[in-house]
Amino acid sequence: MKRLGLIAIMVFGGLLFSISFELPDLGDARSPASTHVSPYYIEQAIHDTSVPNVVTAILADYRGYDTLFETAVIFSAGLACFFLLRITDRKAPKARFYRHLATGLTLRVEKGGRLPEDTKEFERIDSAWVPSDVIINMTCRLVVPFIQLFALYVIAHGHHSPGGGFQGGVIFGAAIILYAISNNLRRTLRRTSERTSALLGSGGVIIYLGTGLLCILLGAGFLNYSSLSLVPGLDPVSARSYGILIVEIGVGIAVTAVMVWIYYNLASAGKLDEGL
Amino acid sequence: MASLEGVTQHLPAIIVAVPLLAALAVTALWWFSNKLCYPLSVGAGLIALAASAGLFQQVLSYGVVEYRLGGWPPPWGIVFRVDHLNSLILVAVALVSFLNLAGSRVAAEKEFQEKVGAFYALYLLFTTGLFGILITGDAFNLYVLLEIASLTGYALIGIGSGRASLSGLNYVFMGTIGATLYLFGVGCLYVITGSLNMVDIGAILPNLWPSKVIVLAFLLCLGGLFVKMALFPLHGWLPNAYTYSPSVVSSLVAPLTTKVMIYAMVRVTLTIFTFDFAFNKISLQVPLVWLAVLAIIVGSLMALSQQRLKKMLAFIVVAEVGYMVGGFWLGNRAGMSGAVLHIINDALMTLCVFMAAGALSFRTGDDRLTSLKGMFRKMPLTMGAMVLGGLSLIGVPPTCGFFSKWYLISGGIEAGHYGFVAALIISSLVNIVLFFRCFEIAYFEPFSGSAGHQSGPMEPDDRSSTVVEAPADMLITLLTAAVLLIVLGIFSGQIVTRVIHQVIPALTG
Repeated sequence: MKRLGLIAIMVFGGLLFSISFELPDLGDARSPASTHVSPYYIEQAIHDTSVPNVVTAILADYRGYDTLFETAVIFSAGLACFFLLRITDRKAPKARFYRHLATGLTLRVEKGGRLPEDTKEFERIDSAWVPSDVIINMTCRLVVPFIQLFALYVIAHGHHSPGGGFQGGVIFGAAIILYAISNNLRRTLRRTSERTSALLGSGGVIIYLGTGLLCILLGAGFLNYSSLSLVPGLDPVSARSYGILIVEIGVGIAVTAVMVWIYYNLASAGKLDEGL
Repeated sequence: MASLEGVTQHLPAIIVAVPLLAALAVTALWWFSNKLCYPLSVGAGLIALAASAGLFQQVLSYGVVEYRLGGWPPPWGIVFRVDHLNSLILVAVALVSFLNLAGSRVAAEKEFQEKVGAFYALYLLFTTGLFGILITGDAFNLYVLLEIASLTGYALIGIGSGRASLSGLNYVFMGTIGATLYLFGVGCLYVITGSLNMVDIGAILPNLWPSKVIVLAFLLCLGGLFVKMALFPLHGWLPNAYTYSPSVVSSLVAPLTTKVMIYAMVRVTLTIFTFDFAFNKISLQVPLVWLAVLAIIVGSLMALSQQRLKKMLAFIVVAEVGYMVGGFWLGNRAGMSGAVLHIINDALMTLCVFMAAGALSFRTGDDRLTSLKGMFRKMPLTMGAMVLGGLSLIGVPPTCGFFSKWYLISGGIEAGHYGFVAALIISSLVNIVLFFRCFEIAYFEPFSGSAGHQSGPMEPDDRSSTVVEAPADMLITLLTAAVLLIVLGIFSGQIVTRVIHQVIPALTG
């Protein structure tokens, strides 16, 4: 079987090699890819959409329907992770462990025993618990807000420079995940619950899809942002620009939330709120 | 009636947007109430069905419908392009997914419990993906929607019990390889044509003909789709994936995935590469038909050796893929018409038998052939639907299975490909053995409480009182599917002459 696979790969590689000579050179300005549809994008994008960054214009407008479903792919990934990993029939653990913060002693509380849950002196220890370290905690606490600010910049600045909803969303999600890693999952869940991340995940895609459907209601085709110019003070071209911004924000929210949602389910092996 | 006109104009967008919106809404609302998921999903399924029926009507009266997304004209923007071929299959897919969805409530609640909302959301996303594949006129967009359908399919299959996770993982590997090959093919096409629009590529390619890159792109696209449709010998992922997945899932995925992939093969071959290239310029016809013959024979023989109902049906799906691939690559009018007709017929037949199998295992608790004992008496209506589905898969006249098989066989004879004809006949004979073995067990052998492998706490008397006819909603949708097999059979001639012949290129001989 292994040998068969090797032969198949050799044949395939040989085929690719023999054909590579017929392909246009890298960066060839006369190749079909740069002469057929690309010139239109490069020359017209700014007039059609008033977005200086051609990539953003193609991604969110000319081929905005693809991007809508790319966002839906990410959402599906989050949903699939939840569906497969999440354990819903929780069994209360036999015993719980608590650490006394001042002394570092660990208590074992049998089932039915009195739990020191609400005091500030104890800390619950379970599979999601990570030993906290002052240096790591402080560093992350300093870094996280700046990462989030940068994420917002990347989303907002997608019109002018490389960036946009996907990149910014990933950065924002990474900030939350960094917080979860440096502190612990339990505390992160208290700030951004699983429900919040799921709601934001679907909400982000709804923003995108809703913008597309709004265009139908305003009398143009699906995802034709120029119809948003019915809002006073907008001409069709800048309406496209704002439409792109709205969907980029939707993408950013969806990607952020799904990243966090997937992290929750992966990091806790689907147990998430065990005993919470 | 300006508003109604406004709606009909946007039908193509509605077909894709409404199920997606419903999936997102279900995910959001389900955190607040479990009860809304089912009605919302069924509503969305119904709207999609109505929209696809309306679109079919439009195509029949006005011809090809083109819908520009974002208002951009074809080579620059993405377009939906709906002709007789995909509008017909859209209706079939919408119908199958709606019927299965409508009958899924009891089984889904039992199977997924608290996660039922996620199930419905994934279900709707899966159908959205299939609709998107069918409706699009853009080669890359097809890949994006294929990802949606695959990703949700993996999740739905992997949730099953027993070896489902492993077979789901297998499917992930194979499915990813298939999708990557297709994407690679589209990439090759883009490099030499600079376009992603199917019609546009189809117009450019003939000028580039001697280029070897076209051949590579063609092989890559076809190879990728063959993996996805589980054509022998690339079918390894299918039987286990469909066997171990929950019944509500297998009766969704089994009828639709392979059929939609066969549509994609037809579309890619005829619209992108054009008939002339695929059948006259390169000679893949003979090997592909023989591959299909092998698929039919192997699928049928493997089905014969199975002890579990769902696995037996899964191998029948492998054989059926051979029918359609073989019929299409015969390259004559009868064979191609038969292949396209078989896409919709097989979707319904597979739905019918998988739903019946689901209803049986819902009551008996497992799907071994031995636990069919006495089922004609216990669940007469379910078994009745099973009989109709079985007869249709065998190809007995009033049912639709007969007509598509008739076209396929006459296509085979016309092309002088007697190997294919023989394979079809052998497969029909094997199907007779398969289904009549089931019927024999279910009819002649008395029901016995300890028939299955269950040696748990259930006493024989308990079992005989729990094994009753399937729940009403499951039964109604199942019987609808069974009756549709006959209705479709009656209208087969009309479908072929009025719809399918419009898209099959006029051929000599």
